[in-house]
Amino acid sequence: MLAFIIRRIGQSILVLLIVGLVAFSMFNFVGDPIDNMLGQERTAEDIERLRIQLGLDQPFPVQYFKFLQEAVQGNFGVSYRQGRPVAEILLERAPATLELAAVSGILAIIFGIALGVFTAIRRNGVLANIVMSASLIGVSLPTFLIGILLIYVFSVELGWLPSFGRGDVVDLGWWRTGFLTESGLKALILPSITLGLYQMTLIMRLVRSEMLEVLRQDYIRFARARGLKDRAVNFRHALKNTMVPVITVIGLQLGAIIAFAIITETVFQWPGVGLLFINAIQFVDIPVMAAYLMLISVMFVGINLAVDILYFFIDPRLRADRAGGH
Amino acid sequence: MLRSIQIAAIVAALAPAAQANEFTWSVTTDPQTMDPHAVNSAPVLGFLNNVYEGLVRRGKDMTVEPALATSWEPIGEGEGWRFMLREGVSFHDGAAFTAEDVLFSYQRASDEASDTRSWFAPVSDVVVVDDFTVDILTSAPNPIFPSSIANWMIMDSGWAEANNAERPDKESGNFATLNTNGTGAFQVTAREPGLRTVLEPFDGWWGEVEHNLTRAELTPIQNPATALAALLSGDVDFINPVPIQDVARLKENPDVDVIQGIEARVIMLGFPHEADALKYSSDITDANPFADPRVRQAVAHAVNVPAILQTIMRGNAEDVSQLVSPAMNGYSEARTARPAFDQDKARALLAEAGYPDGFSFGLKCPNDRYLNDEAVCQAITGMLAQVGMRATLDAMPVQNYWPELRADNYDMYLLGWSPGTFDAEHPIRFLASTPNEEKKLGSWNFGGYSNARVDELLPMIQSEIDAGKRQEMIDEVTQILQDEVAYVPMYVQPLVWGTRSNIELTQRPDNFFILRWVTVN
Repeated sequence: MLAFIIRRIGQSILVLLIVGLVAFSMFNFVGDPIDNMLGQERTAEDIERLRIQLGLDQPFPVQYFKFLQEAVQGNFGVSYRQGRPVAEILLERAPATLELAAVSGILAIIFGIALGVFTAIRRNGVLANIVMSASLIGVSLPTFLIGILLIYVFSVELGWLPSFGRGDVVDLGWWRTGFLTESGLKALILPSITLGLYQMTLIMRLVRSEMLEVLRQDYIRFARARGLKDRAVNFRHALKNTMVPVITVIGLQLGAIIAFAIITETVFQWPGVGLLFINAIQFVDIPVMAAYLMLISVMFVGINLAVDILYFFIDPRLRADRAGGH
Repeated sequence: MLRSIQIAAIVAALAPAAQANEFTWSVTTDPQTMDPHAVNSAPVLGFLNNVYEGLVRRGKDMTVEPALATSWEPIGEGEGWRFMLREGVSFHDGAAFTAEDVLFSYQRASDEASDTRSWFAPVSDVVVVDDFTVDILTSAPNPIFPSSIANWMIMDSGWAEANNAERPDKESGNFATLNTNGTGAFQVTAREPGLRTVLEPFDGWWGEVEHNLTRAELTPIQNPATALAALLSGDVDFINPVPIQDVARLKENPDVDVIQGIEARVIMLGFPHEADALKYSSDITDANPFADPRVRQAVAHAVNVPAILQTIMRGNAEDVSQLVSPAMNGYSEARTARPAFDQDKARALLAEAGYPDGFSFGLKCPNDRYLNDEAVCQAITGMLAQVGMRATLDAMPVQNYWPELRADNYDMYLLGWSPGTFDAEHPIRFLASTPNEEKKLGSWNFGGYSNARVDELLPMIQSEIDAGKRQEMIDEVTQILQDEVAYVPMYVQPLVWGTRSNIELTQRPDNFFILRWVTVN
């Protein structure tokens, strides 16, 4: 048990190190930050001086090693663009992304499960078929297009909702929330729909197919034969047994929502870490890019680690595997 | 709707009597610092022009006018300039403006750590004569010096010392990176990098107020479609730039105005003058056809600039014959003719140069630097192919582009140049002078173009006091550059701003947005 967890943690750290190495090897291709940092009237001498000062003259494994050395002490360096500590900037931007991700996640779960159950129970109903067809949009249309469409309809044409930004935020000291103001809540609607639509359709289709599977099981037939009410059969017996694989997927999708918020944040000018990352790429702000990528990979690796450990508890076969060694 | 609710709420809360005129605008690039001496870039200087002021400033038509100096005069036979300072000016924190602040700002802006120090290359010393008189001495006569320092902004020495910001620090930042204390018409009341910057009028400003704003907010919006939607829905009052392809549609919208003009930036083609051979050719590998002026001339005749302007720029740009736009000081009125679009002449010139069947080569181009840059390069590729010059286009983001040009990895390249001093001398110094690291000449002359007469004329232009004689020399340089086709200048990039129709503002050719000329109706 303990050995299993230690081994998994060891593997996770290895994955993190490799992700970092790949990221740093790619920074060479993102371009050169120097021209952005120096103005039009720079000389070749200035360029060389700054390159040495930033350590960009070193080969990338050396740059990576230096980054790691600082990072384990909690120092992610200073942003080339803003001239402020990266950790400070990330902390400032994180609430926006987390709030957006939380709202889209909750929307996706609620509507995904509800619609999934609905389409499974009424599998031949007209409305259910319309919902199923419409859900294809969520799967197939790219996020930025959905975002632009929503902005066009609800901001430009109808004028109901703001077209960009986060509205007014309330500073709680360590967390700036948009939940407490009217404009903040209004600003959340379009981006969270845009971000959550894909996950919603995914959950919906998953719930539907699992539910259809479960509804065919013998115990459901027996339940019906016992004369239980439809509601009890559908929700108490069928849905409960549907949820096991759904919860696993939801857990993994949570990471995806945060990581893929980049596009939604760009379309809505949402001031989160995703937008920060896009800006960093445009400016070749290596410290910000490195910190963001490490953060996201820590998150993914963390979620996977948690899922692995949970499986270990839930699924006895994993334990048997080790004992049997086949 | 939402905006009016917000405005109503703020009116009710803050100023029951006065009318509140809030103004929100968006740009693609957030100013990366609030320090006027740290970074020499248009987003920073353009924004800070609303907060800080220089000794002189530029008016609506780009002419130099008094700001913190009321008048100035040359000292002796061109030993420098004497500036008489405005009295009774105070900084936003209440400190009085004196000659000490000018000296301090000179030291700060010309420091090793400052990006703006090249502005002060001609300066040998700054002498405080009395509290309101400053002498700026130059090592050679420098007639354009006052106009070259319009973006040199004055910072309070006491404030900078008290906050440990005596030197700009753009690598790790300091107090002045996030905070401001200028003498300008607006003061920054909130600054959240990348999110928003809030400005409010400075009550103690010395000048006459033309605007009617009570509050202004800058929000960067990177995605052009989002910015456009924000303008159309009224969430912002002004955006810069408007994507060229949306101009026609916006013009039909009664709620929105499009303001067009020409910018200072000239878009041109550059050549590898010094290279021994082409780098990306499949047929000519041992020679450099572009070293021959006839081949460069052929390029000039083969590129159909009017067609580019009409199709890609949708009629929003103007062609140009030289390295500066007509809005710049020193524009050569005598040399305004462009080489005509003439494919037969281009083919004849190529044949004369020994390439009757043309040749293949590599064209490098940025894809996110200038308006529709990649589309322009694609058009050029097609046009050159028609006369036998078969270009392979390689377009890339600008962050990758400059290192490629510096490493001489091109056979032809696209470049845009906007003279920081708004004077014709600027591109001669940076683009046409023989590269010389020590004298800081030709630092953007990637191709190594070199002409002894141009090199000889440059210092003379820099120090000539007589405007007529100076223009004659600029005309001569322009003629040399045209005759030798050092570059092929094509067009001046357009400026396209979009505003709500209840906003009045002034567009300046340097693309600086000046808040004190904005009125909300």
